[in-house]
Amino acid sequence: MTTLALSGVAKSFGRVPVLRDVSLTVPAGTRMAVVGASGSGKSTLLRLIAGFEHADEGEIRLGDSMLTAPGRFVAAHRRGIGYVAQDGALFPHLTVEQNLRFGLPRRRRDPARVQEVMELASLDPALAGRYPHQLSGGQQQRVALARALAPRPAVILLDEPFSALDTGLREQTRQAVIDALEASGVTTVLVTHDHDEALSFGGQIAVIAGGRLVQSGPPAAVFDNPVSTEIAAFLGAAIVLPASFTGPDGAECALGRVPVRHDRSDGSPGGRLLIRPAQLGLSPANGTHNAVVEDVRPRGSHAELLLRTAGSAQVLIPLRVPAHEGPEYHAGMRVSVTVNGGGVLYPPD
Amino acid sequence: MTRRRSTAAFAAGLTAVALGLTACSADGDEDPVAAASDDALVVYNAQHEQLTEEWADAFTAETGIEVVLRNGNDAELGNQLVQEGEESRGDVFLTENSPAMSLVENAGLLAPVDQATLDQVPEQYRPASGLWTGIAARSTVFVYNPDELPEAELPASIMDLADPAWKDRWGAAPGGADFQAIVSAILELEGPDATRQWLDAMEENVTVYQNNIATMKAVNAGEVPGGVIYHYYWFRDQDGTRENSGNTELHYFGNQDPGAFVSVSGGGVLASSENQEQAQQFLAFLTGTTGQEILGTGYSMEYPVASGVPANPALPALDSLQAPAVDPSRLNSVDVTDLMTDAGLL
Amino acid sequence: MAATDSLQTSRPGDAGAGADGGSRPPVALVVVAAVLAAVLLVPLGYVVSVVVDVGWGTLEPLIFRPRVGELLVNTVLLVVLGVPLTVLLGVGGAWLVERTTLPARRFWAVVLVAPLAIPAFVSSYGWASAVPSIHGLSGGLLVSVLAYYPLVYLPAMAAIRGLDPALEESARSLGLGSWAVFGRVVLPQLRLAVLGGGLIVALHLLAEYGAFAFIRFDTFTTAIVVQYQSTFAGPAAGALGVVLSALCLTLLVAEAGARGRARYARVGSGVARAAVPQRLGVLTPLVLLALTALGVAAVAVPLASVVRWLGRGGWGGAWSQPELPQALTQTVLLAGGGAVTAVLVALPLAWLTARHPGPLARLLEGTSYVAASLPAIIVALALVTVTLRILPGLYQTAFTVVLAYVMIFLPRAVVPLRSGIAQAPVALEEMARSLGYPPIVARLRVTLPLLVPSIAAGAALVGLGAANELTATLLLAPTGTRTLATQFWSQASAIDYPAAAPYALLLILLSVPAVALMFAQSRRRGAR
Repeated sequence: MTTLALSGVAKSFGRVPVLRDVSLTVPAGTRMAVVGASGSGKSTLLRLIAGFEHADEGEIRLGDSMLTAPGRFVAAHRRGIGYVAQDGALFPHLTVEQNLRFGLPRRRRDPARVQEVMELASLDPALAGRYPHQLSGGQQQRVALARALAPRPAVILLDEPFSALDTGLREQTRQAVIDALEASGVTTVLVTHDHDEALSFGGQIAVIAGGRLVQSGPPAAVFDNPVSTEIAAFLGAAIVLPASFTGPDGAECALGRVPVRHDRSDGSPGGRLLIRPAQLGLSPANGTHNAVVEDVRPRGSHAELLLRTAGSAQVLIPLRVPAHEGPEYHAGMRVSVTVNGGGVLYPPD
Repeated sequence: MTRRRSTAAFAAGLTAVALGLTACSADGDEDPVAAASDDALVVYNAQHEQLTEEWADAFTAETGIEVVLRNGNDAELGNQLVQEGEESRGDVFLTENSPAMSLVENAGLLAPVDQATLDQVPEQYRPASGLWTGIAARSTVFVYNPDELPEAELPASIMDLADPAWKDRWGAAPGGADFQAIVSAILELEGPDATRQWLDAMEENVTVYQNNIATMKAVNAGEVPGGVIYHYYWFRDQDGTRENSGNTELHYFGNQDPGAFVSVSGGGVLASSENQEQAQQFLAFLTGTTGQEILGTGYSMEYPVASGVPANPALPALDSLQAPAVDPSRLNSVDVTDLMTDAGLL
Repeated sequence: MAATDSLQTSRPGDAGAGADGGSRPPVALVVVAAVLAAVLLVPLGYVVSVVVDVGWGTLEPLIFRPRVGELLVNTVLLVVLGVPLTVLLGVGGAWLVERTTLPARRFWAVVLVAPLAIPAFVSSYGWASAVPSIHGLSGGLLVSVLAYYPLVYLPAMAAIRGLDPALEESARSLGLGSWAVFGRVVLPQLRLAVLGGGLIVALHLLAEYGAFAFIRFDTFTTAIVVQYQSTFAGPAAGALGVVLSALCLTLLVAEAGARGRARYARVGSGVARAAVPQRLGVLTPLVLLALTALGVAAVAVPLASVVRWLGRGGWGGAWSQPELPQALTQTVLLAGGGAVTAVLVALPLAWLTARHPGPLARLLEGTSYVAASLPAIIVALALVTVTLRILPGLYQTAFTVVLAYVMIFLPRAVVPLRSGIAQAPVALEEMARSLGYPPIVARLRVTLPLLVPSIAAGAALVGLGAANELTATLLLAPTGTRTLATQFWSQASAIDYPAAAPYALLLILLSVPAVALMFAQSRRRGAR
């Protein structure tokens, strides 16, 4: 178990900058999920750590050893960093067992290790003699993980390992992988574009946008207090309301006065307030209302309401209610919306 | 190693392997393919392969000197020798007809033939220059199918074949050196203007075949009534299965007609040869009794021209053919191919 | 058979390599590929140099003369009539065996590809000895169409197998009858396969020598050989070569134009259901009769001739020719050398296009296709001229023959290698590196084993093409060298049919594996 540390890493392809000044520490034994939209540079980050690409600037350090620094570059095969690719990248001409053995040192090849990692990745021992094309997608990914784990690497890198899988299989495989990583206690970096996957992966999350690391920390903390409304929206459904007046007891917005949980504003009088839909409560208006139902759309397990806030701002807010409550609402109906917990206040646009 | 450098190294390695293997494959092939040890005599052979092989085998048996043949036809090998010049790996050049030999002679690539060899060959069958010698002879004939062409309608002269009456009624192989030699005789005997006219008319009249055998076969099958070929194709087939000549007869133009032209096959030693002695030995052998008897008694049916060896008894005597007198060294292959190209025959 | 059999599947850009698409290739690789491409351009350079060297003043009367006009008419008629006929037979045959209720479809699928195993000049020999009067344009068309239609049939079959039946079903549900579906839905989707196959047939027709020379049909190629035999590599041969090369390049450009932007269309991935076959009904006997006639004409007639002459020559006579074992050995050595060298030359080019696609890779690869589209006779003339004038040490050596084979057949090696490299993505090498192997070892342990089938396929296709090669071998072979093809040719043109028969049979037998390989590839490509 070793700490992985990046500092000031930058990389361009030709004239196109892909990563800029990325500094990130993955403490020993931590599972870190790096999340970003496609093209954000997250895969390149992983390839720099693996040693498949050269960084233009900055340092990558694993424990005490410097992997990448100006004038220094440890080749991929000397880094001791395992890698799991998007499609598994199993060697098609080798059986499962041969794939698993591939990275084990030749001289002291430990036959028990193959069984061990198969167990670790919850692979049926009967699969050992099969070829990759005879496996399901989920099995392939678990073999890929087991193969990466077999030589006991200091770090495992996972590049969108679940994105090629069907929804049902994805959840199941993801859990198997997390369990295996947990059991082996290896330092792990996962990159993904899926915020749910990132938020549920483990101890740390890092958000990458436009080639920069914009925020990192424990998932709950990042989700609770994103650095910007864009990141907030990227990490999950977000409602951003203009806040006209802010005072000590909260911000004034279309839904009334809402307490400020985190203040990221610049001190100017106005701003924008982030609220998560799950914080909203809804009741038919009795006397005062702060929104009007614009549309009701049944969605099976729930109904989706589209509300238009009263007052001059007229912001549209999508909101879910349980399916059985759907019929209670109709277009044009006046409702009263309450906000539970506070919002996060950002500077105006 | 960096990624880029390693790819480069891989590429470089591959190339090295590629070049190495290419070299190996070339080396590996060379021996069995060329099948020629350095001291073997390389004969550029435009004569019939089977005939020259008989000659070569007998020569090797007699002298122990190995012979390797590069087979081709007159003009191809002659031009090739001119292009190769001093670089040529050939020692001896054998032709079916003299124009290609003259081509090589005019390029100054031939060494004088030993006087002893020349003495074996009557003067009319070798050039005055002494730079090559006749080794065999063949006569022009008109092969015809009596079912299609009654004897009375046979052409009196080869020049008559230019008549519109002969349109689509005769065949020949103008792409071959044999016919081109016949044209060179016409050129020598009748002059350029008459030859040009004759060739233009021929282009109208003639049915073109790939070679003499194909022409004879077509006449035999009745595809075309007659054709201009050399005599020995007919006699060989008559001597064998008669499959391609059974329905045909030969017509000799005689009368010193250009169509009675007797073509001399030549043999010469290349000046650039490093095996001068063996090469001269080979020519001496060809024109000697043993070599000429292979012509007189073997399958070839070509006429012997030297050492007084008689022709195959099936053939009419060479001096009975009333061939026109043509100095073999004056026959020009370049002018002929130019004229034939102009006429659209090539 | 000439070079370009797989041209239609071999366009740059369909490599589909995930790889590090578009990354800058290493300089050494580019240099190697560029040098190879430059060597491949020698024949084209020869054609250009003929124009420059000899000068337009000399060439003009040699090009603008009635004879060239005749050859042009012959050659153009051959292509204009021959290509549609091969398309008709090829597409029709593919449709019959893939999408109809034709009885014994698998049997007919094999019968239809079988003519490819009979070299055109052997087929011509068979026909000429069975029907001696056969000659001219009609004879040339008969022999060449029968010999070459499988070059359309194979890609058409692959394309039909790759079609999504759902499209045809949708068309039916929109009210189209079965013939309308074929004409308006199936045929348009076969456009690329038909264009590609048609181009290859056209290039073959332009390049063929033996088959046409045998039955007295003059094309540019036969005329060049005649000129060569009369005047060696002189200006008249060069002038004809310039016109012939111009015809080939025109075809290449025309085909590229007709393809338009759809050039990289790929066959559909994965056909879930087989299409409902079209009922032939009362037409069945008629179709069977037509197919039988085709099979007899294209396969049975040439084979019967060979067998008849073998019998005539007697087993003792024909097979005891002393040249036979020598010709077989030398054919195997030369063709083997050609196969190995072609694979080694193809590797850097295929690597570049599969791993580093981009304008540079396209340029280099395009170069190799342009080079390979020139007929063998041009390649041979060019190599004769270049070796004599510039590299006399290489003149008439096995090396030069092998080089000619590489130039003529290179695409046969590039195509399978490139798809092989594309299927061995760079990610696998990276994976091996992350598991502790240095890059070279990673390549040897992961990429090389994955390339073995492609290398084998490429080498087999080149080798077997080279074993059948006649034109260039005739002009370039070292002194004393005989191959099966040249030996067959010399016997057959001397009308010694029995002596030619064993060579014919050996040439056919040698071709069978390559044809089986092409057939299997086409079926797989479609079914994937």
